[in-house]
Amino acid sequence: MAEVKLYHWEPNANSGKPMLALVEKGVPFASHYINMLEFDQHQPEYLAVNPQGTIPAMFHGTRILTESTAIMEYVDEAFDGPALMPSDARDRWRIRWWMKFMDQWLGPSFSMIGWCTFVGPSLAHKSPEEREAMIARIPLPERRVAWRKAMFAEFGEEELAESKRRIALGVRMIEEELGKRAYIGSNQYSLADINIFNSTYMLPVGNPELTSPELTPNLWRWLKTVYRRPAVQRTWAMGSGRFTDRFNAIMGEFA
Amino acid sequence: MSAVLYHGEPNGPSLSVLAALEESGLDIETRHIDLRKGERHALPGVTDAVALDMAVEGEGPVLVVDGEAMSEAVFLAQYFDEQAGGAGLQPEDPYAHWQMLMWCRQATERLSPAVAYLGIFASDAPSEARLSPIASEDLRARWQDWRDGAIDEGKAADSRAKIAQFAERTENQLADGRDWLMGEFSIADLETYAWLIGAQELEPAAFEGKAALAAWMERVAARPSVQKALARAQTDNPRRSFAPGPEINRWG
Repeated sequence: MAEVKLYHWEPNANSGKPMLALVEKGVPFASHYINMLEFDQHQPEYLAVNPQGTIPAMFHGTRILTESTAIMEYVDEAFDGPALMPSDARDRWRIRWWMKFMDQWLGPSFSMIGWCTFVGPSLAHKSPEEREAMIARIPLPERRVAWRKAMFAEFGEEELAESKRRIALGVRMIEEELGKRAYIGSNQYSLADINIFNSTYMLPVGNPELTSPELTPNLWRWLKTVYRRPAVQRTWAMGSGRFTDRFNAIMGEFA
Repeated sequence: MSAVLYHGEPNGPSLSVLAALEESGLDIETRHIDLRKGERHALPGVTDAVALDMAVEGEGPVLVVDGEAMSEAVFLAQYFDEQAGGAGLQPEDPYAHWQMLMWCRQATERLSPAVAYLGIFASDAPSEARLSPIASEDLRARWQDWRDGAIDEGKAADSRAKIAQFAERTENQLADGRDWLMGEFSIADLETYAWLIGAQELEPAAFEGKAALAAWMERVAARPSVQKALARAQTDNPRRSFAPGPEINRWG
């Protein structure tokens, strides 16, 4: 089998998706940790891997793949191991729909709040000149705008309020969906669960006003079920620092 | 199984989905609705409206299967292909499949928001836009901007640039003399063509001098599936029929 190399940050959001998909499939891979907060992803060594400077990225032999959801679909199709997509065409459609909804509508709102409250402040100790130099190295114009907002705390009240509205609505929609089926979009664990779990596992501590056994019983049941998967625990054990500690704290509450 | 495909004029997502249905050979009833009057938001017999109300795509066709509304043009095309047991619309090799999905994602994230944005402001504003049944607040806001003629010049300039980039990108993809974008014919050809013909109406200069692109557009247009889809038009020029599409990227 050709060697798999994954360039990723913490097991969280986009980086966590291909990590968990590979572990679920039982595919061994060489892990290359990219420290996003030190801007490793905009250094020449990484730009030689992915000129867009986005993480994650995966090598399979000489093939290079980017975009976390598309990487997961490739992993499911290219390797043996348990199927992470059901066979029914309408279930497959539903899984794709929910992944796009997360990637393009709900996920960016989680990301904006996360960057405003965590990523930006994590870089506040650097001088303005240092931050400007970091921004200047970013290849994609959209990412330059995003990083500038985070690093110089330039978020507007209106856009933050809109992101919070979307998060509250999105959580209600996921709750409703999980009232219809055991998992997201189908009755089997799939790529949609890996995708959405990566952006929602912290809700019980980050947004207790939206997520609790009383407010969202179906989401709660699903979070517990997914938390307990051996592959999930192995994946989060690969992380370092704040995300893994937080994850373990949440796991402890469920134990 | 009861299934009905509700579609608008054959342009953008309605064109690609109608053509994909023809390519699949599935026997599914189709009904023409006016997406520009918000008719999509009042479909009969819809008991599960999540994907109708909250589609990232905005105003596109809706497939109703056993009361469940299904949306998003690329995923509907994949559904037809897979429901038909493989109609040749998706590469079988996982890496080629990844390339097709990446291409389609670029088209739906960069090209379609740009074309839909310029397209609605280039056509008559809805005189009686039926905004009230639109559940999604952000989609309703895009309808309101259209009704009010509230075009954002920054977004318009960005949209023109994105159309030019996508025409260039498509020309480059075809530079090695291939017939179809991914080598073999696929959903990528339908999705890209369906948005580029509308883009060409709006930004003809972006298409000038691109011989491979022009020849490819003729090849796609000549496919019987595309011809049958275009024959469902009820207006003189369906290429100028636009309704609010995906939002312009707001973060990241």
